[in-house]
Parts: sequence; structure tokens; C-alpha cells
Amino acid sequence: MAITRRALISNVAKVGVPAALAVTVGTDALHAETESVPIPSIAVGLLYDASICIGCKACVAACAEANDTAPDIRGDGLHQAPSDLNDVTRNIIKLYKPDDGSPSSFVKRQCMQCLDPACAAGCPFQALHKDPETGIVTWTENKCIGCRYCTITCPYHIPRFQWQGYNPRVTKCELCSQRLEKGLQPGCTSVCPTGAVIFGPRTVLLAEAKQRIKNNPGRYYQERVYGEYDNGGTQALYLSRVPFAKLGLPELGPESVPARTLRWQRRLYQYFALPAVLYVGLVQVIRKSLAGHEQEAHQREKETGLRAQL
Amino acid sequence: MSSAPIDRVSDDQPLWERAVPVYGFPVVNKFFLVLVAMTVLAFLLTAYRELAGLGPVSGMNDAYGWGIWKTFNVMVLTALGSGAFAVGIAAWVFRRKRLHALMRMALLTSFLAYACGLLLLGIDAGRPWNFYWMVFPWKWNMHSPLAEVAICMSIYAMIPLALENIPPVLERLWYFDSRLRPGVERLERLLHKFFPWLIAAAYLLPGMHQSSLGALMLLAGERVHPLWQTPFLPLLYLGAATFMSFGCVAGTTMLCCVVWKRAMDMEVLDEAARITSWLIFGWLGLRVLDIIFRGALGTAFHFDRFAGVFWIEVLLTSVGGWMLHRSLKSHAAREMFLGYIFSSFGGMIYRFSPTTLAFRPNPESLYFPTAVEILVSLGFISMGIAGFLLVVKRIAILPATLQEWHDMASYFRFRRPYIRWTGYFKYGHFGENEPQVKQSD
Repeated sequence: MAITRRALISNVAKVGVPAALAVTVGTDALHAETESVPIPSIAVGLLYDASICIGCKACVAACAEANDTAPDIRGDGLHQAPSDLNDVTRNIIKLYKPDDGSPSSFVKRQCMQCLDPACAAGCPFQALHKDPETGIVTWTENKCIGCRYCTITCPYHIPRFQWQGYNPRVTKCELCSQRLEKGLQPGCTSVCPTGAVIFGPRTVLLAEAKQRIKNNPGRYYQERVYGEYDNGGTQALYLSRVPFAKLGLPELGPESVPARTLRWQRRLYQYFALPAVLYVGLVQVIRKSLAGHEQEAHQREKETGLRAQL
Repeated sequence: MSSAPIDRVSDDQPLWERAVPVYGFPVVNKFFLVLVAMTVLAFLLTAYRELAGLGPVSGMNDAYGWGIWKTFNVMVLTALGSGAFAVGIAAWVFRRKRLHALMRMALLTSFLAYACGLLLLGIDAGRPWNFYWMVFPWKWNMHSPLAEVAICMSIYAMIPLALENIPPVLERLWYFDSRLRPGVERLERLLHKFFPWLIAAAYLLPGMHQSSLGALMLLAGERVHPLWQTPFLPLLYLGAATFMSFGCVAGTTMLCCVVWKRAMDMEVLDEAARITSWLIFGWLGLRVLDIIFRGALGTAFHFDRFAGVFWIEVLLTSVGGWMLHRSLKSHAAREMFLGYIFSSFGGMIYRFSPTTLAFRPNPESLYFPTAVEILVSLGFISMGIAGFLLVVKRIAILPATLQEWHDMASYFRFRRPYIRWTGYFKYGHFGENEPQVKQSD
């Protein structure tokens, strides 16, 4: 065994040195890349102020109209009253009302348009894709294989799969990108009567949100904008009186989910350097054991008179 | 003691030297017919699923996007089917020569597990026609664990694993008719030329996708219970696959030996059990140390289903490993077999947990597979078992003694005289007494 082990180690070492170099160089480049998530040049988004929202659900109806989806009347067969986001509902108003009488709040849920979206990071054939200019995450029909990995990865639980029918689709808010091209606003912001949700470039919205916090000290939870840094930053920004976690916006930390969890995965597969090196090393080792094995088998073939089974 | 088994001269102990087909048992029996019926039923239900969509046939919902087709048939069963990877690495890379006796079993079980898993993966996918993007590497999302799994698994099962399974088939053709021999030998030479490259790919690719299966759940973050969610998830998934597949290969071989009354070579089985027990202890060590260092140990003592699943998994695995370790001294085949069963079940629970048992969607929701889901899942498993039974009875897969080969040859010579006048085995007689046969012609 001593010889084979030595052979194994030396073979691995022969190719290991350039490998180590290649991977380290690659890793440094990648490191710098993941530290700062690139913000799209004309990133657009939403600012939703839960403290102004009156829960009229005009945005829910407007969203269905703008996206030409059938109103979800599965609840009572009459009213458009979806209980949650689903295959025809991209936008919904929910109510958080604690039993102990402490402040309640409405919340509007739709895609957060993360700067580093987990759904797109997991999507195998780039069916979910973040536009490099506007930063809108869109779904492409002819690339999606329907694996539903996006419903597992999204920390906000936004993309929904259509469970009925032979040609299922994935539904998520795409910020009405077809309306934006025509110079219109997204459906939800165009109808909001109180201005609880507004549309604009992310930088403008962020400044507006900070201005509101400044003008109303003590009004907002933690005096911060959810989405400025959370999950690496999002393009839908939230202001609220009640803790964000109560509204379904988990505290994920400043690092995006993909950057945090796939760090090692990304390094190991960087430029495919490490697998390639491992492959060459394996070939060397196996070539040697194969030669030995064949020799033994043929010797045994002569002894037994039976054809060697390789 | 590290000498190859073929160097040992011993009469008192059976020695696996040659793969021999299971002869004297009909392929079609009641059990086989049941398996075929299950498979047919599964395919009919599958046709219904393709028309109706996933909702009407499965218990999957918005919270649990993945059902047992993915989480059990793919995540768990391909781990059991990693034998070609784990046993192969031990035999070819670490040169445990005795394990070559188990290689054909490992290759066959792997191929069947992967083939059935991949077929069901295609049925589970909502829009399977878009799989054609796999042909265009520049369209892949290289950093997606799921792309890695889907692409790497398909390539592995279709190219290196399938080609590794070719030699037994060629051998069957070689014995079938001597007129085929020159062609078969040419093909074998061609295959052997590429063998090191093929085998190396057959170890690299499963190493990649079995770990990426673990990486899948990294992106789910907090929704996977802290006892399972760890940066080491890929490594632990890979480790579980190694000992589970040893259990599957050696356990299945032992079961076959009992069912078809074959002698067991305890040297080979001891070697496999020794490696498996150390793999289990190493894996358990990593698993427990990881939990302690992440500070998640406290959650193992909460009175909830997660702690229950965790303790069942750890107990089964460690008891299995301990039984395997003990069987090395007692040489009790029963204990060894039970050790494989327990440890494999523990590993199966581990592989099943992050996606299903320990998955905590927000808002809280429940998933239980529907009857259709379970029937389709069982149907695809039945297809694998039926394929296994068919192949081991027709092709030399199961390891046996040299005597078994001679017995088989005389069985066919005397019990099936018609093969003489049909000329079925006229030329080969399974390689026995080659010169005499040629002279008698």
C-alpha cells in the first residue's frame, strides 16, 4: 500500500500546485466581485410606506388588469379576494393585526427586485434574469424547465408556480415592464390613492424615504428603510411602523443570500479550474491501477482457462 | 494482508473470482409481474400528470414546491445508487483490489438508480420541453447548484456510467456466438483505450453533483432547521452518499447470495464493511462536530419533530456503523447485513430531511404525498428492481466462485440440451475448454 499511496499523493501534488495558484487568483477576483453587488445603472423600484396604506386593495385589482390576468375569485366565486400571492396574483395587500392590541399594519407584497436575487442565482437556465439596466427580474417562458427551485430559494417567498395545466408558468411581479416601455407607471402605483406606494429610480426613492424618516422622527420602525442594505439591497423599499419581520420581511443581514450561502460553491467551480485539475490527477492514478489490474486479470486468464472479466 | 484475493490459496473459504449470471431461475415470476404492473401503472399515471399538471396529482403546494419525486427518488435514491462512485473510487483510486468483485454490481445498481431518478426528474419538471437548453453550455447558469445537478447528472448517467456498464454486455455477446468475437474484441479494445478518461469522469461528476444536491438547500437559508442547515451541507451529502452506496451494493449482493443460494466471500464483504464503518464514523463525527461548533446542539433537545428526526437518524446510522464494525470480528453475515440496512436508513433520513422533514416554510404549511405521487414513486423504483432482476439473470453481474461458473456451464450443457441443436452455445460453452470445443467442430 505504501507505494500506491505515494504514487497517489505525488500525482495529485504534480498537478496540485498550478491548481492552487489558478484557484487562488480566481478567488481573489471573485472576492472583490461579491463584496459589492453591482447596482443597475437605472435601477427602478417601488417605495411602499406601510404607515400611509389604507388597505383599499386598488393596487391588487390594478395589478391584475395591467398584467391581463384573470381575477382570482376562487375564494367565494364572486369577489377578487386571493388569500396570498398565487399563480394569477402578483401583488397583494395583507393585514398584520396582533391580538394584544398593539399597532396593526397593512403590507403590500410583491417581488422585491433584489440587487442580487436568489431566484436568478438558482435558476438553471437563466429563465429568471435580472435586467442589467433597469434591474427588473423577469421570467422567460421558453427557458423555464418548471423545476420550482425559485419557490424554494426566494427568501421572500415571491415566485409562485401554476399547479394546474400542462403548460405551467411561474408568476411574479415584473414591475409591469411592458407598461414602463410605453412610458406608463406600474399598475399598482398608478392607482394608489394615498401615495403609499410610489414608483421611481431607486436613488430618488431612497432619498425620499430618508426624508420621510427625518421629517417624522419616531414614526418608523428602527428609523430605517428596509431594502437599503437588507439581503444585499433591494429595489422595492419599505417603511413601516411595526417590525419588518411581522410583515413577512425577514431580517437577512446586509449580505445577499446567494453571496452568503454559495460562497464556497462559487469558489470551487470558478473557471472550472479545480474540477479540471482533479480530473487530470484521477486519470493518472486510474491509468496506473488499470494497467496493474489488466495484467493480473490476464495472468489469471492463463491459469484458469476462462476469459478475463474486466 | 493487503495482497489481492487471487494470490490466496484456500479451499475452506469461498472466493469471489468471477461474475456469473443467475441461472436456473426464470426471469418472469409472480414478483416480477407485480413489478411490471406497478411500472405500467406509474407510466399511465404519469401520462395523466402531463395533461392535468402537478396540482391535481400531487400534494405539492406553494410552500412545499418539491415533493417526493425530487426529494426521495432523486435526492435519496441516487445516494443509494452512488456505488459506481464510492466503491469505484475505493477499488480504482485507493486500490482496494478485493472490491473489484463488487464493481459490476455497483455499476448496475448505480445506472438503474440514476436512470429511474432522472426519468422521474423529467416528469417532475413542469416544463420539461425546455430541457433542450442543456445542449447550449453558454446558456447554463454556471453558479446554480440546480444547473450543476441537472446537467452533471444527465451527462454522468448517459456517458461515463452507461459506457462503464458496456463490458458485461459485450462479454455476453462474445459468448453468444463466436462469429461476433472479432467485432466484440475490437470494440473492447476501443473502450479500453478510453477507460481511464471514462472512469475518471465517472468519479469526478458524481462527486460534483452529489455534493451540489446538498448545496441546493443552502439557498433556502433559515427555512432549513439549524440541525441541518450548515455550510458543510455539500460535504455531508457527499459523505452520506458514500456509505449509503456501500450499504446498497454490499447489502444487495448479500441479499442476492441468500436468495439465489450463492457462497459469500467474507474477505470482500469484510473489506467493504470495514470501509463503510469508517466512512460512517467519519461522517457522524463531522455531522456532530459541525452542530456543536455552530452552537445548534441545543435545538436537538427541544421536544419537537425536528429533534425526533435528528435522533432517529443519528441512532440508526451509529447503530448501523457499530454493527458493521462488530461484524468484522464476529463474521456474522446477518449482523453485517443489518448494519448496512440500519446505516443506509439513517443516511436516507438524512438526505430526505433538509428538503422535507426539516424544511420549515413560512408561512407554516404541511405536505404529505398523495396516493398518485406515492404510486408513481414506487412504480419507478419497481422499474429499477425489475431491470435489476432481468439483467442479473441474463448477464454476468453477481460475483461468484470459479466453481459456480463451471456449474453454470454444465447446467446449460446437460439441462438444456436444445442449445446443442440450435447451436445457441455451440461455439463458446462459456469459455470452457476452448481448444476442445474448436476441435470438435
